[in-house]
Amino acid sequence: MEVIPALRFDGVTFSYGAVAVLRGLSFSIAPGERVALLGKNGAGKSTVVRLITGLERPGEGTVWVGDWNTRDCVPEQLARRVGSVFQHADQQLFARTVREDVSFGPRALGVGEQEVERRTDRALADLDLTAHAGHHPYDLPPALRKLAALAGALALEPGLLVLDEPTIGLDRALRARVTRALLDRSAGNVALLVITHDLTFAAETLERGLVLDRGSLACDESLADLLGDVTRLEPLGLAPPSVAALSVALDLPGRPVRAADAARALARVAQGRPGP
Amino acid sequence: MWTAAVALLLTLTPGWRPGLVVFRTALLTAAPFWVFLRLLHDVPTTIAIGLRITTMVASFVWLAATLAPDRLVEATVARGWSVTAAYLFAATITAVPTLRDRARRIVEAQRCRGLSPRGSLGNRLRALRALALPLVLSALHDVDERALALETRGMVSGARRTPLAPPPDSAVERAARWALLAACVAALIWRFK
Amino acid sequence: MKSLTLERVSFWYPATEAPALRDVSLEVVQGEVVALVGAVGAGASTVLLAAGDLAPRLTGGRIVGTVSRRDRSAIVLPTPWTQVSGMAFTVWDEVAFGPANLGWPTHEIARQVDRAMAHLELGPLATRDPATLSGGELQRVIIAATLAMDSGLVLFDEPAAELDAEGASALWRLIRALAKGGKAILLATSALDALPDVADRVVWLEDGAVRAVGTPDLLADVAACDAGLGTSVATVWGASGLPGPYPLTVAHAVRQWR
Repeated sequence: MEVIPALRFDGVTFSYGAVAVLRGLSFSIAPGERVALLGKNGAGKSTVVRLITGLERPGEGTVWVGDWNTRDCVPEQLARRVGSVFQHADQQLFARTVREDVSFGPRALGVGEQEVERRTDRALADLDLTAHAGHHPYDLPPALRKLAALAGALALEPGLLVLDEPTIGLDRALRARVTRALLDRSAGNVALLVITHDLTFAAETLERGLVLDRGSLACDESLADLLGDVTRLEPLGLAPPSVAALSVALDLPGRPVRAADAARALARVAQGRPGP
Repeated sequence: MWTAAVALLLTLTPGWRPGLVVFRTALLTAAPFWVFLRLLHDVPTTIAIGLRITTMVASFVWLAATLAPDRLVEATVARGWSVTAAYLFAATITAVPTLRDRARRIVEAQRCRGLSPRGSLGNRLRALRALALPLVLSALHDVDERALALETRGMVSGARRTPLAPPPDSAVERAARWALLAACVAALIWRFK
Repeated sequence: MKSLTLERVSFWYPATEAPALRDVSLEVVQGEVVALVGAVGAGASTVLLAAGDLAPRLTGGRIVGTVSRRDRSAIVLPTPWTQVSGMAFTVWDEVAFGPANLGWPTHEIARQVDRAMAHLELGPLATRDPATLSGGELQRVIIAATLAMDSGLVLFDEPAAELDAEGASALWRLIRALAKGGKAILLATSALDALPDVADRVVWLEDGAVRAVGTPDLLADVAACDAGLGTSVATVWGASGLPGPYPLTVAHAVRQWR
């Protein structure tokens, strides 16, 4: 039996007025898959997010979220299947406490109060925000507000998470929290689509790279293959993240792109080498 | 009656299409006044007052539509308004589109979390609160940061700002302004004679 | 020639008990790029505000110690949309806002603005309304607007946050060029991997105090890696169990590997 993709773009074309932003875009994401949406500023990435959340409808083609055609849905409905976090999410929190804000989504879905509590607690714990649950969101520094916004999306427990630049303004420790939380969800079959400039974060968290260039797909392959290849990245305006560059330079077996994998490979190769 | 006709015709000056938009905005803005007037007065009074109100509304709408904000700001600077006064004036003009954009983004984000702006009154009030709070709080927070940023860009009280592109002000235009002012004063005097 | 000196500076934001800065001393010389690194909340932004004479003058709060500046300073804050003047309706006017406020004659303003816009490759955007720009474009505009003021000391708070990879590399190159041209630069950033090529010195802040100062090699120290402030290469090397010293960049690693 064929598995329905979590997300499918079918020949999607979209224009703002006379300007064509997306041309014939087609790809699909399976449940549990972790995908990076890469590309220069202006390539159309944010438009992809707007189409998935139902804020815009495609000019031509279809956007499928599961078996729902976004043309037949409004954003409030799609919230049942898609958890989204836009850029500058730290500006949209509105409840008196972090907990109240995070629980807003599941409550709006209409699941029972107990279930709302469970989802909220889990989302807060995943991002280590439990200690701040009782604080007013605007008492937190912007970096933690961003995490609170992400927790709000996680609490929806959707089948698909779409995040637009979730790591801007976060330091390494906070980025690691986000990575852990997303990997955990993905293990539970949640599909991820993350727009990011941070290739290091992408290497740690995601497994497949879609590169948009002027509205069409320039590239769709595994991140491990893509990130180590300077010749592919350069024309796309991207540079290999340090760990991938290190793997290539030292010719590490398997060309790992994640820090932990590279450390292991390095240790193994070092052990196998003759001493100095 | 004549002034109303002139005012409404003026709304067409920015050009055929934008003119119609201005015309329509003026009529739509004035419409509620007509309704209330009709409820309060008989037909002749309604028409008399209604036309006056429509003239005023149309003039303002026309002004807002044709006035390029940058020229206005440059004019205040060239005239020697203090930097802070000119800024307050300009910032008020630009604040509306900025807040409107931010409000739109906030509403979109809320909708994507399941908040429906439609439906029952309770729903709508909740939606309004979900919009108002982040809008105001983030705007206030921005004010703090903006004060810092403006300060470092030299906007300190007492600064003598160089006008970048002061709108030309010919003797004819100046004379016309004085003449218009005189005409207004004369009209007022004639009115209350 | 010293451009900025902080001497034993402690700072408290209004109505807070815990100091945001504790006994911080540092200096920036003309022609030098000094980078501030640390976890979120470590105090890097506060150091910049104090250096730019914005704290406590505009933020309120209490300061102890001395901040001395030889040059005029300008600061680029991390959120570009709050730094838009609100009085300019084209990018050119936005960049000219600062110079105009300084009362310079129009030809000087034009010279500085054109130069700053060329540095940030903003030519194609010159007539656009700043309100319609994307975050990355706006950040470049604000940086240009700050540079157009031609101050001797330039303070940057996470200037590459909104930029894509190309934009970020161009910015780091520009910062190096500015230092070469004689400016003093103090920069707070979490882009640790870029620092070996950008910074002359690195100041490590922890909980508002200076934990260490040194060349970018500091970012390859065991202590820095343990604290999550090592470069990616150094961190991987450390995690693999290989002995120190850890290499700072890929190039260093290749040399060490041989």
